[in-house]
Amino acid sequence: MGLSLKISQVREFLQETLKILFYYRVRAIFSLSGVALGILSICIIITTIDGANKKAYEIFEALGPDSIMIFGGSERQRMARERVTTLTYKDAESIERINGVYDITKAYSVRNLTLRYKDRKWQTNIIGSTENYFESYKWNLLMGTVFKKDDVLNVESVCVIGYKVYDELFKGEDAVGKTITIGKLPVRVIGVLEEKGGAAGGPNIDDRVIMPLSTVTAKLSNEKRYLGVLRVKTSRDVDETIEDIKSVLRRNHGIQGDQDDFTIRSSRDILQFMSVISGSLFLFLGTASIVALVVSGFVLANLFYLTIQERKKDIGIRRAYGASKRGILLSFLFESIFITFIGGIIGVLLSLLLEGVFERLFSIPMEFSYKVVIFAMLFSCLTGTLSGLKPALKASRIEPIEAIRG
Amino acid sequence: MINLKGIKKSYFIGERELPILKGIDLSIEAGELVILMGVSGSGKTTLMNIIGLLDKQTEGEYFFMGRSVDGLDDESLAMFRNEHIGFVFQQFFLLPYLNAIENVLIPIVYSKKNIKHPREKARQLLSKFGLADRIHNRPSQLSGGEQQRVAIARALINDPDLILADEPTGALDSKTGNEIMELFRMLNNDGKTVIVVTHDPKLAQFGKRLVRIEDGTISEDITG
Repeated sequence: MGLSLKISQVREFLQETLKILFYYRVRAIFSLSGVALGILSICIIITTIDGANKKAYEIFEALGPDSIMIFGGSERQRMARERVTTLTYKDAESIERINGVYDITKAYSVRNLTLRYKDRKWQTNIIGSTENYFESYKWNLLMGTVFKKDDVLNVESVCVIGYKVYDELFKGEDAVGKTITIGKLPVRVIGVLEEKGGAAGGPNIDDRVIMPLSTVTAKLSNEKRYLGVLRVKTSRDVDETIEDIKSVLRRNHGIQGDQDDFTIRSSRDILQFMSVISGSLFLFLGTASIVALVVSGFVLANLFYLTIQERKKDIGIRRAYGASKRGILLSFLFESIFITFIGGIIGVLLSLLLEGVFERLFSIPMEFSYKVVIFAMLFSCLTGTLSGLKPALKASRIEPIEAIRG
Repeated sequence: MINLKGIKKSYFIGERELPILKGIDLSIEAGELVILMGVSGSGKTTLMNIIGLLDKQTEGEYFFMGRSVDGLDDESLAMFRNEHIGFVFQQFFLLPYLNAIENVLIPIVYSKKNIKHPREKARQLLSKFGLADRIHNRPSQLSGGEQQRVAIARALINDPDLILADEPTGALDSKTGNEIMELFRMLNNDGKTVIVVTHDPKLAQFGKRLVRIEDGTISEDITG
């Protein structure tokens, strides 16, 4: 009997709380929405940051932890988006001889060339590179094949197109073996790359065409001396290799001091950059949403004080009929936690809903996990406890005679 | 059943002592119907609060069914009230978000007594008081007399030994008030001990015993 009595009492407790909330529904709705919005913002922030971190890690994985990128131009010039080519074929040869370097991908890109297939047109960047490009970027093919060393040596007019380009020019048709024109040059499509998906706001990495480096420099740009980007893989420590590359390039370019005319990036920089961004995001947005939740906690506490005033007689009659101080305290605390718990659930559900919308509209990657739900629910219950405790204590201290008299 | 010995109660306003009850000796036996009468400020409500274990005397002893209740702590007092006393108030004090039958069932929530089929019992009580078709109505949908009858049903649901009514007719017209008093008489005939606290001399006729409080002391105690 003991247990079933307990269960039926809990059920009655819950039913009564629901009736109370329904009766004072304006207060309940205000409190609920305050908490729900706070929890919503916390959920969105956590999922966005998790999503960004995951994306960053994917990029890191894709590049490989041992890869180093070298660009022409100084940090400052790159920031100003100036295009400076300072890396030469000779530099590439020197770097290849550095101890530990086992792979080097040379690339030179030509921007905004017009591609034509039948009556369709598309403008994009053409990347000239070596045959190890695809392996180095761990990029798989959707159809066809990639170009080989012979194609680079023989300056073949062939290309592998990114998914975006494929979609724009071929709209799902078979592209392999078809000839498109790039600028005025007829080029045969030999492969289509798998879709990688873009990061929010950034350039679409599927919007590119990859051709043999020799073909680009000879037939599209007439650039025989300089390279755009070098990608190096090392079996040694990345930082040590970077130091070696720096000294080689400084010697080649005749640079004294540290006015480098090149920029070196490792995968680690990307990861570090992302963690700085997500860290500051977390700090700012996290503070904002916690402030929001604290404010809603205050609102909750205030509304609770009001309702206690309104329900003084309610408390009095319950006390007269056998409710102990502890019982009153618990029932008010339960009510408060119940409101924030439901608010938390609504917040989590809303964030799930918004997550889909955000991903679709802005292609912001979001990572929803149990962690978020548990964190959000704990946080909302904590808000309920903290904001409900003081009013509930006050309610429990109301003496039945003062409540009944007043 | 109730035994009060030398009950004194004072309130303190700063240093000044304000005596409300100045030594009450009162004995009430089971099965009595007592009208506790006094004008406003006579101390009758304070006495009722002490009898109802809602307040504590400053001096004196209180025995309820032979047991001293003076040393009970807050929790035990709450349980004691729940077990032994049914309250009826002037303003009914029904909870606005519960319907009639749910209001009647409130004492059951806190009860350790094993009342069998409390819902069925509540329904029977309400039917007995002529509210069979009002069971699912909210207090705001009931007249004053109906609300007070729901409150009386609530006072009875947990089988208390004592019904304590504080100005039960105060908020009602005289006809409805008389009906409520008849109800108390009926309950008393069924064996319940009832104490009605009032300032209204017209209610004296409903009791078997009249205790008059004047200036904190009992000035009259007539049985008959």
